[in-house]
Amino acid sequence: MAATPARARADYDYLIKLLLIGDSGVGKSCLLLRFSDGSFTTSFITTIGIDFKIRTIELDGKRIKLQIWDTAGQERFRTITTAYYRGAMGILLVYDVTDESSFNNIKNWIRNIEQHASDNVNKILVGNKADMDESKRAVPTSKGQALADEYGIKFFETSAKTNLNVEQVFFSIARDIKQRLAETDTKAEDKTIKINKPDQAGAEGEASQKSACCG
Amino acid sequence: MFSADGRFRDGGVKFLKKARSRGIDPSIRAEVWPFLLGVYDLNSTEDERNIIRRQKRKEYENLRRRCRRLPSHRQKGNELLRLVEFSNECSPRLDEIPESPGFEVFSARLSHFTGGGNTNEDLPIYDKSPDSNPCDIEEEDRSGIIHVDSFLESETSDSESSVEEDPETMGRSSITEAIVDPDLKYAKGASLRRNCSNRTTEDFATWQRIIRLDAVRANAEWVIYSSAQALVTEEQALQSATAVGLKDCDHLEPCMIYHAARLVALLEAYAIYDPEIGYCQGMSDLLSPIIAVIEDDHDAFWCFVGFMRKARHNFRLDEVGIRRQLNIVSKIIKSKDSHLYRHLEKLQAEDCFFVYRMVVVLFRRELTFEQTVCLWEVMWADQAAIRAGIGKSAWGRIRLRAPPTDDLLLYAVAACVLQRKKLIIESSNCMDEIMSECNSMAGKLDVWRLLDDAHDLIVTLHDKVE
Repeated sequence: MAATPARARADYDYLIKLLLIGDSGVGKSCLLLRFSDGSFTTSFITTIGIDFKIRTIELDGKRIKLQIWDTAGQERFRTITTAYYRGAMGILLVYDVTDESSFNNIKNWIRNIEQHASDNVNKILVGNKADMDESKRAVPTSKGQALADEYGIKFFETSAKTNLNVEQVFFSIARDIKQRLAETDTKAEDKTIKINKPDQAGAEGEASQKSACCG
Repeated sequence: MFSADGRFRDGGVKFLKKARSRGIDPSIRAEVWPFLLGVYDLNSTEDERNIIRRQKRKEYENLRRRCRRLPSHRQKGNELLRLVEFSNECSPRLDEIPESPGFEVFSARLSHFTGGGNTNEDLPIYDKSPDSNPCDIEEEDRSGIIHVDSFLESETSDSESSVEEDPETMGRSSITEAIVDPDLKYAKGASLRRNCSNRTTEDFATWQRIIRLDAVRANAEWVIYSSAQALVTEEQALQSATAVGLKDCDHLEPCMIYHAARLVALLEAYAIYDPEIGYCQGMSDLLSPIIAVIEDDHDAFWCFVGFMRKARHNFRLDEVGIRRQLNIVSKIIKSKDSHLYRHLEKLQAEDCFFVYRMVVVLFRRELTFEQTVCLWEVMWADQAAIRAGIGKSAWGRIRLRAPPTDDLLLYAVAACVLQRKKLIIESSNCMDEIMSECNSMAGKLDVWRLLDDAHDLIVTLHDKVE
């Protein structure tokens, strides 16, 4: 019954944990549904607390299992959502290009990451709902790009509805994380540890990640 | 069951006993829920209830009027009112607030500012600081803080003249008036008074925005239950949406639009009524079934208020309520099954975060509409029995196994986890897997078995846990 049979470990080379954050209603769950199931719905029910989905992709001949955590946007759920920051290897910061306040809040989400995530976590900025009519757009692409440049992170405009750039966003951050892991992970032995480790508790996951990075 | 004046003959004991053991028959839900939810006293006569109903209707209409006069999210970019916290200091603590969520006690100042284009930028959505804040040590549960009967005084005087107007068609001009309304220097609506300065500030405009987002995201299965809603014409639906300023819902069926508009109206009114909680996502999950069962907004509102009397703690800004509850679930599991508990400890999952959603929205996402409502009715009956002072000894006399408890839901959650003990121990190597299991239970649960198990747990454990 469990979504991920515990024993079926051999089906991937890397397990990468990603986290979606951003204001309520920017389309985090829709992006995830598009990426994991290939479908779209306009009436996605509100995420309560936290949930995750899995998709395994192939990169440079390696099987990468992406475990993608979807969070509730409202700040009031932060105890549970921030508990997942520390185990995340990559974080997607999502805003809605038709909602300026969701863009302005990105800096607050960044601050959240600084406080709760591990130092070497990969980040990517995502402006969703890019399919919307230009008359509804409130955040020009250039502004999104400028903010991403300011933080030194990559930037994509996406549409979960039309499937614009959705694959690209997830593949891009997965590639960067894989590269980071590979660089700090030259010994095959270490990799075996890494495959099993992230599934354990968050604190340990963080510790192993950090030691991998700094050591 | 009733005497000539419409009063329960036995103070409602028989009625509660029935409700506790098998819920309420769908045909009488709308009539009976106000008793279960404390809108009407179990000892009230029919005349008394009629008076209360009229009074409450007026109160609800006043709340709606206040909603319309508050600055709206629709005005963003023009003029916004900013609700400034009364005090930015860590004291006085929450527990010094009198027992009423009324606005007078939250007399927060409103600072009024005008902005050029991007006033939203100035909205203090976040006020971040490290997690290590003193709120975490606050453990008390202020159940009973809401008095359903607390009057929202001082409101009627300035609005009496407009009582006859159709409350939802007064238009937007009133919003502009509100900005200069001197009354507004006392917080008419949103104000968050917290015991710590480093918590987030949310204001009414924020709530309005999120309420509208969530209202149109309701699950269709929750809506079609109501025959009255199912028969709504497109014109009626659009009218109701316009009345509460609900846009971007053209893609929905008329009954969904109508449902969404009702959600907006009631949730806004609730945010004003209980500004300490305001609106938190998940509250729409709790309100949806009530709207589906109860046709009049004002009746539905007070039932929701009764429901929230206990459930509001799930949505507190400082998250104390939810932590306390997860802690109780953890204690129940620990007392019942140390083997399972040790396994959870090994996975560092003993905090029971994996049942977070079940607790916050009281199984709404795991059960069907009918199952949810049955579970809630049984839970409400427990709460009603406790309110009515029908204590443990009385239940002993009428030979019901488990005494009523305020925490029935938590026992049900624990029972649900215990039912999956084998699976959790044998195949879960991390908390993620347990959460995945818990989040995919929808449609797999037998609500009556769950309640039986919960009652068994209560019989053996309630003295240890409570």
